[in-house]
Amino acid sequence: MTKTKSDIPHGTLDLLILRTLDTMGPLHGYAIARRLEQVGGGTTRLSQGAVYPALIRLEQQELIRTQWGLSETNREVKFYELTPPGAAHLRKEIASWEQSTALIAKFLGARP
Amino acid sequence: MTARLRRLLALFRRTRLDRELDAEIVAHLELAERDARARGLSVEEARREARQAFGGVDAVREAHRDARSTRALETLWRDVRYGLRGIRRTPLVCSIIVLVLGVAIGANTTMLSAVEAILVRPLGYGDADRLVIVMHDGRAPVSYANFDDWRREARSFQGMGAAEYWRVNIGLEEGAERVLGLRVTQDLLPLLDVAPALGRLPGADAFAGGDDKQVVISHGLWRRRFGGRASALGETLRLDGELYTVVAVMPPGFVFAPFWAAESQLWAPLPHAGRPTSRTHNSLRVFARLAPGTSLAQAQADVTALTTRLESAFPHTNRNVRVVSLKERVVGETRMPLLVMLGGVGIVLIIACANVAHILLARAATRRREVAVRLALGATRTQIVRQFLVESLLLAGAAAIVGVALAIVGIDALVALAPPDLPRAADIRLDLPVLLGTVAMALTAGLGFGLAPALQAARPVPGEHLAAGRGASADRRQAATRELLMASEVALSLVLVAGAGLMVRSLASLQADDPAFDPGGVLSFSVSVLGSRQADADRRAPFYEALVEGLAALPGVTAVSAINHRPLDGDLWTRGMTIEGRTAPADGAVIGAIYRVSLPGYFTAMRIPIQRGRDFTWTDRTGTPGVAIISDDLARAHWPGEEAVGKRILFGQAASDPEPRWLTIVGVVADAAGRTWEDGRGSEVYLPFLQSAEYATSPTAPFSYLSFMVRTEPGREGALMPAVRRLVAGMDRDVAVSDVATMEEVVSRALARPRFQLTLLAVCAAVALLLAAAGIYGVVSYAVTRRTREIGLRMALGAQRGDVRTMVLRQSARHVGLGVGAGLIGAMLITRLMTGLLHGVTPGDPLTLGMSTLVLSAVALLASSVPAWRASRTAPVVALRDE
Repeated sequence: MTKTKSDIPHGTLDLLILRTLDTMGPLHGYAIARRLEQVGGGTTRLSQGAVYPALIRLEQQELIRTQWGLSETNREVKFYELTPPGAAHLRKEIASWEQSTALIAKFLGARP
Repeated sequence: MTARLRRLLALFRRTRLDRELDAEIVAHLELAERDARARGLSVEEARREARQAFGGVDAVREAHRDARSTRALETLWRDVRYGLRGIRRTPLVCSIIVLVLGVAIGANTTMLSAVEAILVRPLGYGDADRLVIVMHDGRAPVSYANFDDWRREARSFQGMGAAEYWRVNIGLEEGAERVLGLRVTQDLLPLLDVAPALGRLPGADAFAGGDDKQVVISHGLWRRRFGGRASALGETLRLDGELYTVVAVMPPGFVFAPFWAAESQLWAPLPHAGRPTSRTHNSLRVFARLAPGTSLAQAQADVTALTTRLESAFPHTNRNVRVVSLKERVVGETRMPLLVMLGGVGIVLIIACANVAHILLARAATRRREVAVRLALGATRTQIVRQFLVESLLLAGAAAIVGVALAIVGIDALVALAPPDLPRAADIRLDLPVLLGTVAMALTAGLGFGLAPALQAARPVPGEHLAAGRGASADRRQAATRELLMASEVALSLVLVAGAGLMVRSLASLQADDPAFDPGGVLSFSVSVLGSRQADADRRAPFYEALVEGLAALPGVTAVSAINHRPLDGDLWTRGMTIEGRTAPADGAVIGAIYRVSLPGYFTAMRIPIQRGRDFTWTDRTGTPGVAIISDDLARAHWPGEEAVGKRILFGQAASDPEPRWLTIVGVVADAAGRTWEDGRGSEVYLPFLQSAEYATSPTAPFSYLSFMVRTEPGREGALMPAVRRLVAGMDRDVAVSDVATMEEVVSRALARPRFQLTLLAVCAAVALLLAAAGIYGVVSYAVTRRTREIGLRMALGAQRGDVRTMVLRQSARHVGLGVGAGLIGAMLITRLMTGLLHGVTPGDPLTLGMSTLVLSAVALLASSVPAWRASRTAPVVALRDE
């Protein structure tokens, strides 16, 4: 129920964050938001702030964990990293996502 | 730490998490600004861009908070909000639901309070569950000599005490007043384990021949007589003309004995001197406390062994002595009636729930599209069901509040309506266990009536309802649910109507019983000479004779007489009768009969038919041959085919007595109502007052009063009392007049219990009928509305109005018939529980069941005929219209 606007399908933001941490290792919030923007290549209209509610949710589900570290501006910030259950969850989600998209692609590809 | 726990903790750690988020946001914006500056933007531009990219800070904070709060609480709150919104949208329907359900819950809460106070809550004594009574047959009084042996020899008890009825005249400023008290033995009050509010219970000395003129008084009497002064201790009360010292005041609400003489306000030591040594002079109620670890059965075995031994030493005594739990003795007879009443209101609640389910089903039908949209938007079925259930529970909660408010009024009404012999009525109140029961009831009800509509609502297939069409299969399923509900309402109502019908028949049968006296126009009151100069042996008879003359001279009075104990609500003594020339039965059994002592003219004043022989006269007095009058049933039982008049009997005297006082039977009278209305008639032996040594001379309380019966011209008995009081006061100010009642009131009180039960069941049945009618009306109306097009089509194709009406009625009749069938079976099974409540009618009574079926069918027909009539007015053109 985030009020920040997003073109990203509901529920997939979590998946994108997990994937980002999977490839990039521990990151702070700003870096995650930036990475999502870069990968999206400007096609998403995601507010950067929207990552924080998603991050706390993932943390509470113990899919990610936090550590305090120093930012590039020498400030104490939280660094987020994937937990082993988070990694497993991500693998499962990716598999199911690929299955769905393959199915849809098959349908859409098969023009009568 | 599990995720769930962490989320829950997050609720309380809100501020820390908020601070951490704020720190993250600050760092985020700083980093974004730095990057923007690196791309060559000005400070101002960089800041603006960073904020823009971040989005609304407040929105993020809120979303963060939402995301971390416990999800269950969050969704519950959302469901409650939706529910309240739904209720606001349909205020009328919801008010009706809350009202119907509130009344049912109120009735149930009221009955639950009564059941809890009377049956469940322990009696108001210390560790009351270990208190027992030890009496003949578990209820008949015991002689002092026997009690004393039991007390000394029984091993199963921690203590055993006895109490004796004590009617006493108490000297108050406004003239003499009679109050009830008890004479008790040493162990009795300590046995109860209730500390006095003031003072100390009488010491051992008071019971062992020392100063026994000490009295413990009730809180009420203390307030009334001493204005609640602590200095009342040590002051004196004039009781029956003697001075007693007040030694203790019991706490408010203290009642003893709970099943008999419950309105006692005085407890004084049983005088040591003059305790009867006779083993057949039974006047004591015996109470005991079970020793720790001793069961009721062990105590009974102990007492049985003991009394068997005593019986062989003293034949014809110590028979059939039973140990009964005190609580059982107090509430045992009330249990079944109370549970039947609770069942009655319970059925009403079920019917109310069925009705609410009807309404909600109809409402769910109108909300199908809303549900379909939500399902299409990704809500799960579980979510929909949960939301509907939350709505039902909100309604049930509101109804519970209404119900509790109604129960507060209802309890007052119940206590006011309760028969005087309902034990512990003053204890009935709304307390925590009852409120918990109400909450549980509301929850169950909410789930009960909410489940079917909720499941129904979540069932439709999305596509089907997004299109404007109607799901025929869902409709059919829903119709089946509704018709099942309707049939069960009919069945349950039938059970209640049959129950109420049985009570009506039972009460009618009771009222039709002839008491063999005519209560109309008779005023009755008791006159006690105790403590006055008229108690002297040589003054007593002349005083009563003069009083009869004085009363007879009052305007409107047509006949006057007196008897020792007023029928139906007076004391009751039985004595053994021995017939001259007949050998006593070998087993020692005696012919028991009610002991009546009357002045001449009693049968005339009461209009009890004298079937043979004569009444007593003023010349049947000491010194003339002893006479007696017996009731017809005794004459028929013991002198079949013979004339009883002229035969001789002994009454209250053993045949072996060295100085037998033979009494000649001079009259046989009709069998009149005696102790209670239900317990048969007759078995009475009347003796003339003027020949009774005890009544003419005994200085003790039981023999010092008479119950006067004054017959007046019709309708004048109510206004006579002031003149009576003036007359008595004019003769002797110390003579107490009490127990004033017309005989019609006495009869009415004797029937109070069945009337009370009838009233409650009748109210339940009426409410059930009303609800069932509303339910049937609702179901049939709904069915008709649903089939409007079909009916229009039929009429367009030539069906007549009558045909349509018949069609609708026939369909309704099928379900009503099903309900009646199930109800008849249910009624036959369930009313069996009422056997103990019924008089002159059996539970399966065909007439009652038939009448109940008729009543219910008529109501069902009426409730269906309105929608049927409406259906028949359907214009054929509606068939052409689209929905």
